[in-house]
Amino acid sequence: MKECYLGIDIGSISTKGVIIDNDNNIITSAYIWTEGNPVEAVKNLLEILKTKLPKEYQIKSIGTTGSARKLIGLMLKASVVKNEITAHAIGTLTFYPNVRTILEIGGQDSKIILIKNGIIQNYAMNTLCAAGTGSFLSSQAKRLGIDVEKFGDYALKSQNPVKIAARCTVFAESDLVHKAQVGYAKEDIIAGLCKSVVLNYLNNVGKGKKIISPIIFQGGVSKNKGVVKYFKEILKEDIIVDENSHLMGAIGIAVLAKKNKTGSTYSLELKNLKFQTKAFECHRCSNSCELLKIYRNNELVDSWGSKCGKY
Amino acid sequence: MTKIAFPHMGDYYIPANFLLSHIFKNTEVIKAPKITSKTIELGTKYSPEFICTPFKYTLGTMIECLEKNADILIQMGGGCRYGYYAPLQEEILKNLGYKCKVLNLVSEGEPNLKRINKLLKKIDPKYSKIKALYYSFITFKMVKYMDIIDNYIRENIGFEIEKGSFENLKNQMLVTFSHIKNYRELKRTYKRYLNKFHKIKVHKPDNRLKIGIIGELYTIMEPFSNYYLEKQLAQYHIEIKRFTNVHYLLFEKAKKYKKYQKYSKDYFTYNMGADAADNIARCKYLCENGYDGIIHIKSSFCTPEIGAMPIINKIASTYQKPVLFFSFDSATSETGIKTRLEAFYDMLEMRKEK
Amino acid sequence: MSTVGIPRSLFYYYYSNIWKDFLDYLKIPYVISPKTNQDILNRGMKISNDEMCLSLKNYLGHIDYLKDKCDFILVPRISNFKKDNQTCTNFWAAYDIVKNLFDINVLHYNINLEKGKTLKKGLYKIGKQLNKKHHAIKKAYKYAIIKEKKRIKQNHIINLNKLKVAKTKILIVSHPYNLYDEMLGKDIIKYLIKNNIEIIYTDKFNPKITNNLSKKNFKDLYFKYSKDNLGAIAYCEDKIDGIIFLSSFPCAPDSLANEIAMRKIKKPYLNLVIDDSSSFTGLETRLESFLDMLGGPIND
Repeated sequence: MKECYLGIDIGSISTKGVIIDNDNNIITSAYIWTEGNPVEAVKNLLEILKTKLPKEYQIKSIGTTGSARKLIGLMLKASVVKNEITAHAIGTLTFYPNVRTILEIGGQDSKIILIKNGIIQNYAMNTLCAAGTGSFLSSQAKRLGIDVEKFGDYALKSQNPVKIAARCTVFAESDLVHKAQVGYAKEDIIAGLCKSVVLNYLNNVGKGKKIISPIIFQGGVSKNKGVVKYFKEILKEDIIVDENSHLMGAIGIAVLAKKNKTGSTYSLELKNLKFQTKAFECHRCSNSCELLKIYRNNELVDSWGSKCGKY
Repeated sequence: MTKIAFPHMGDYYIPANFLLSHIFKNTEVIKAPKITSKTIELGTKYSPEFICTPFKYTLGTMIECLEKNADILIQMGGGCRYGYYAPLQEEILKNLGYKCKVLNLVSEGEPNLKRINKLLKKIDPKYSKIKALYYSFITFKMVKYMDIIDNYIRENIGFEIEKGSFENLKNQMLVTFSHIKNYRELKRTYKRYLNKFHKIKVHKPDNRLKIGIIGELYTIMEPFSNYYLEKQLAQYHIEIKRFTNVHYLLFEKAKKYKKYQKYSKDYFTYNMGADAADNIARCKYLCENGYDGIIHIKSSFCTPEIGAMPIINKIASTYQKPVLFFSFDSATSETGIKTRLEAFYDMLEMRKEK
Repeated sequence: MSTVGIPRSLFYYYYSNIWKDFLDYLKIPYVISPKTNQDILNRGMKISNDEMCLSLKNYLGHIDYLKDKCDFILVPRISNFKKDNQTCTNFWAAYDIVKNLFDINVLHYNINLEKGKTLKKGLYKIGKQLNKKHHAIKKAYKYAIIKEKKRIKQNHIINLNKLKVAKTKILIVSHPYNLYDEMLGKDIIKYLIKNNIEIIYTDKFNPKITNNLSKKNFKDLYFKYSKDNLGAIAYCEDKIDGIIFLSSFPCAPDSLANEIAMRKIKKPYLNLVIDDSSSFTGLETRLESFLDMLGGPIND
């Protein structure tokens, strides 16, 4: 039997799973939509991975990252639960040990990570607002009636991108509607959107940070050729986009899981696992904490959300 | 009988309560209910649009006190727009139909004895000045002792062997402090508790992480408004250094300002309002004294601190130290803060290892 | 000969005339940054911190524009005009922010009347820094200050006369660096003039009269410029038809002072907050409906 390690990245929009071997090679991977239900998404993800994984492999450790990391960590009894910033950095470093800057734009979050000699030097995340992230782009795509995956191609066609105020989603939307009504071409509006995402990112997340090459761009939005083009144009540097860029978080957490193996073996058979969460509001004080109780096979494993520590 | 109340800030309600109840024999001091999510909800509802967060917290507490039939509310602060709080809050409360007075004891950031005397006379025209001076003296001592003990706790709580021992002892101490009668008793209690705190067993490794917290004063001192940042850091076994406390603001600030100015003359020449200049100097101090990282917290729209931020950024990049900026608002999501803190901790650990 | 750069923002709207006269008299060449345009605003946005107020962002943009076009840039620091007459903390910090963000020679002086640092001392200092003789500076200062006093007096008279006009009168409560700026407030003035409205400016009253009156609405004011604004409201509230509050996002003193004023006044008012992404079309709708409400010339 060969040993392998599973890393799962449960984001707000998509759920990614990767299995690596002892030499950090990707054995198999899967990518599905979260659709607001991380527990179901992970169950489906594991089903897919199970069919893809060759029989001679045995999972020795599991790691979770992403916004639902704690919940899924409990569900799978993961050996490592880490935040996505660290996971992304480690994942990228295993393939690109010389990288200096990681730009990342995901569904809800955007971040910048600065690396020197293989150590994270500094990082920054967007200020708790979804302006200029993936969900912003896809909602604008819907408004324009274009598939978000084709955004890149449209943007590349444009010669004069339209100026769009992108400081805030609400403003951007009204500006966009206005520009569309005035009669600008679709390509130019889309190119303008892509450009505004880049400008917004550099003005907000990248402010005051020295962006040194090699630069790697990842996250869902990195698949958008238009955004990549404007990053290149504005930074005047080459931008690397890895074909596995959307999996970097999952790879990173798998690498961390490898380092933290506990010795036990994990199975991907989860069909019969009963995993439930019950929400209720505590009224013992005026804090009115929204509590979440988590049951694994009808057994209470944890409860979250308490401010006073009673639970 | 008039009833007076004041908004919360950290544990300082104990000395404040002590002082007021001793000066005014004929008035009742109402203890404001603890800040909860309901407080901030109330405050936000009646506050103007782009106001800084302390306004919302204090307004929320005031409304809760008025529900308990308070007549006079006491507000302190100045130096930035904090000094404008009292009149506007009075106006808002009046429009809501409450009958009350809001008194601001400090104006422009400098306590002025004449002014305070005038205001205290409004509460009770026959109050005794000598008594007031005597009890203020005890109160200020109490604040000083509390701050000394808090500093000790901050440095050690991350490394306690028995979980909760610091917090339990501190709660005990606060209860004892609230029943103090005179200075001798206060001093004795303080010494006794200081001893007890020193006796709590801690395990401090040599390569521990050290973080300095700087930023806007209210957000730093009221743990609810910074989402219990210090507690979170303690869970990661980090030694915390914090400069701002009431004793500093009242007695040390004026003295230290000149020192700070000399120390960091490369970065600022003039006072920049509130604690902005102080924070720049502290940032330099933390960078030069082996701290691993700096966390800068403020409420959103805090103008003086916004002015200081580019300079703090510059210092940090010269010394190559990471800084984490937080800007808290009433709508800040707690999970977002936790993720950022966790990542910050991971980063510091990785930097330390190499 | 070294050239002095003057950014056309913030302090410019308080001191430009004195500076110009003073430098002219001493025969020192100077450049003034152009009226604010999108390019300058974008520069400012790029350099400044996200949460800074729009006026400060704009100021930094002007400095960025000037940085390679002159030898010195004039950035004063203004703290207070005597006790209880502070300025906004951005005025305190502007000099240090500029010094840290840009690598340029800064010509500066400090006004802090509480500590005896007057405009006179400041201008003398500048003159010396530019290698001028003491008696020449003295003459230049006298020349500049006498001219300025005349100008201010005239402004006061004009503003008071406007109150007697029979047209619809609107008081604009704003800081001059927002109101007169080409990108921020100029459009509003133009729109009002086009609609035959008589505009009364808060900064053109005699502060000796208005500052005392400001206590009527707000007792503990200690920001000088909000005293000017609220005092003007108290002075002419019964002589005008409506009030427009104009502030930049997120102005700290205005957020409180204007809020109080709005709660106290009895005349109809309109509150406008300008942001970097607000377009004039949005403002126009609001202005139009406000004028409709006042029953201005549109209804005739």
